[in-house]
Amino acid sequence: MQQGSLWQKWIHDDRLRMIIIFVPPAILVFTVFVMLPMIQAGFFSPWKWSGYGPAPWAFNEATDATFGRWVGERNFDRMFGHSAFQQAVWNSILVIVVSLLIQLPLALMLALMIYRTSRANTIFRLVFFMPYILAEVATGLIFAFALDGNYGLSAWFSQMLGLEEAWFPLAEKPWAFYAILAALVWKYFGFHMMIYIAGLQSISSELLESAEIDGATTWQKAIYIKIPLIWPAITVSIFYSVLGALQVFDLVMPMTAGGPSNSSHTLVSYLYNFGFIRLDVGFGSAVGVFLFVTGVVFALVYRNTVQKGQ
Amino acid sequence: MAEVRMTNVKKNYGSVEVIPDLSLTIPDGSFSVLVGPSGCGKSTLLRMIAGLEEVTDGSIHIDGEDVTNAKPSDRGIAMVFQSYALYPHMTVRQNIGFGLKLAKTPKDEIDRRVDEAADILQLGPLLDRKPRQLSGGQRQRVAIGRSIVRKPKVFLFDEPLSNLDAALRTQMRVELAELHAKLGATMVYVTHDQVEAMTMADQIVIMKAGIIQQVGRPMDLYNAPENPFVAGFIGSPKMNLIEGSIASARKSKLVGVRPEHIDVSPDAGEWEGTLRYAEHLGSDTVAYIDSEVAGSVTVRLQGEVAINRGDKVFMTPRAGNIHLFRENGAVERA
Ligand SMILES: Nc1ncnc2c1ncn2[C@@H]1O[C@H](COP(=O)(O)OP(=O)(O)O)[C@@H](O)[C@H]1O
Ligand SMILES: [Mg+2]
Repeated sequence: MQQGSLWQKWIHDDRLRMIIIFVPPAILVFTVFVMLPMIQAGFFSPWKWSGYGPAPWAFNEATDATFGRWVGERNFDRMFGHSAFQQAVWNSILVIVVSLLIQLPLALMLALMIYRTSRANTIFRLVFFMPYILAEVATGLIFAFALDGNYGLSAWFSQMLGLEEAWFPLAEKPWAFYAILAALVWKYFGFHMMIYIAGLQSISSELLESAEIDGATTWQKAIYIKIPLIWPAITVSIFYSVLGALQVFDLVMPMTAGGPSNSSHTLVSYLYNFGFIRLDVGFGSAVGVFLFVTGVVFALVYRNTVQKGQ
Repeated sequence: MAEVRMTNVKKNYGSVEVIPDLSLTIPDGSFSVLVGPSGCGKSTLLRMIAGLEEVTDGSIHIDGEDVTNAKPSDRGIAMVFQSYALYPHMTVRQNIGFGLKLAKTPKDEIDRRVDEAADILQLGPLLDRKPRQLSGGQRQRVAIGRSIVRKPKVFLFDEPLSNLDAALRTQMRVELAELHAKLGATMVYVTHDQVEAMTMADQIVIMKAGIIQQVGRPMDLYNAPENPFVAGFIGSPKMNLIEGSIASARKSKLVGVRPEHIDVSPDAGEWEGTLRYAEHLGSDTVAYIDSEVAGSVTVRLQGEVAINRGDKVFMTPRAGNIHLFRENGAVERA
């Protein structure tokens, strides 16, 4: 009887069938590729370990210190005290600030200009969205080439301006990271623009006509009607923007690889450089834990404040 | 005060001609209803008066002023949409006061005028709610409130009652008529419902395919329709329009008789027929009669009449209430 009814459920309940078929693989993949590495990183972080040999918690007197040793919180102390790490944190903050103050307003402005359906607008949308489709590494290479003082656009400009020495912005201290910021804005504004366009297109035209009759100018319609109505979409895009800023990596490597003198690292490129390249997996794990905690804290706080009630 | 005058107005959407050539005057202070079947261009016409749609050709004057190319907000009009178009993120108070705020009206004056409008429409207790917390009828009132605070010369309504249930619609019809009496402003009201037109209008404008068919007071349209379209559109149940031998005997293309202008007798009369179906409404009985000479005829009888399917009946059109539509387009009454 019991079995029969379960069987009946399986036959008739589409939702149940979907859950049973699709949820376990998703949980499995999430566990193996997301949860386990995160937990592992937590375990690795108090060790000095190259990543080779037995797992660090299997160390004992016999394996001696060839493979690694327990360092407790010293990985974190080292990290917080490291000037390159502080610079990476500062750079990541800069990415967030530029995203919020330049990228999103730019995306919003363009969205307001081209959200209506017309042939020209479709072309503009496509063009603005193109950088987003491009692979990060390709974007980095394009910018690296353009900003090269020997044969890129930079060489050309230097010549035009009659400079004695060609300008290598990627090799100069504040400019290297500004160039990365510019590349980031260029690559991702189209994505946010699309989110806003989708929101703007769902606003009923009678609402805007009503505002027009009420005497609203184009500007006032944007401020008083359109932006408040797409506010939920804006909060989503801010959320992506901040979490994305914490993960910037692929663009940094081809452009500067963190240089000159570690001035243009983001948190992830710092992690890669000082954790993996230098075979210091315990230290890299500590950076990973810091990143993870920062992201989770932001997500929780944001959801419970800005996005509350949405 | 504010008369609306349209002169040789044309409207094309690309190559589609929606309004070929239309001239119309809406008298100052009138309640004018534009009525016609769906898609005949009523909304287009109203939106051209509002300035939401450009005219392809012709001119529009409001209160003697040429507003053909003026912005909507400079025309002295207010509009109520079918969807109400309330700003969902604003409270009722903010919705009503939005236009005043944009016009940089001082805060206390906005409050005073919003309260005044809320008073007229009994919206007082709802002022701090958001539109989604209101019923359809309340939303409708807010939309009207939003239009009256601006003290427009002309009110424009585009099928404002069609999203309401029948009972509420009847009630709002009365309220709108009272509002018109109270404000004395010119009102232009679009509907496809001839009952709304008949009950509310001082002046009805009947349209078909972008062309005005007839303009007049409701009873003029009822008593003296100028063509078969108007004859069939105004009145419920519809006027009987009879062709064939009956028409040719009267030297007409078409003979029109309203259901309420046909007398029925069991034994003698002009047209013989058989009862197909009867609707007993208590106050009236509507009989659908099949007749060999007249075709299918609808007859409205006063009170409850005992009459059954298959009964043989004789019908006689009442003298003075027979509309003769001649071949040359002329109409006479006999
Ligand atoms: N923006 C538009 N583009 C093309 N055709 C339109 C547009 N708006 C309305 N029309 C056409 O114009 C005609 C009149 O429409 P409308 O004025 O809305 O009719 P009504 O309000 O009487 O139902 C319809 O045939 C409609 O399809
Ligand atoms: Mg319409």
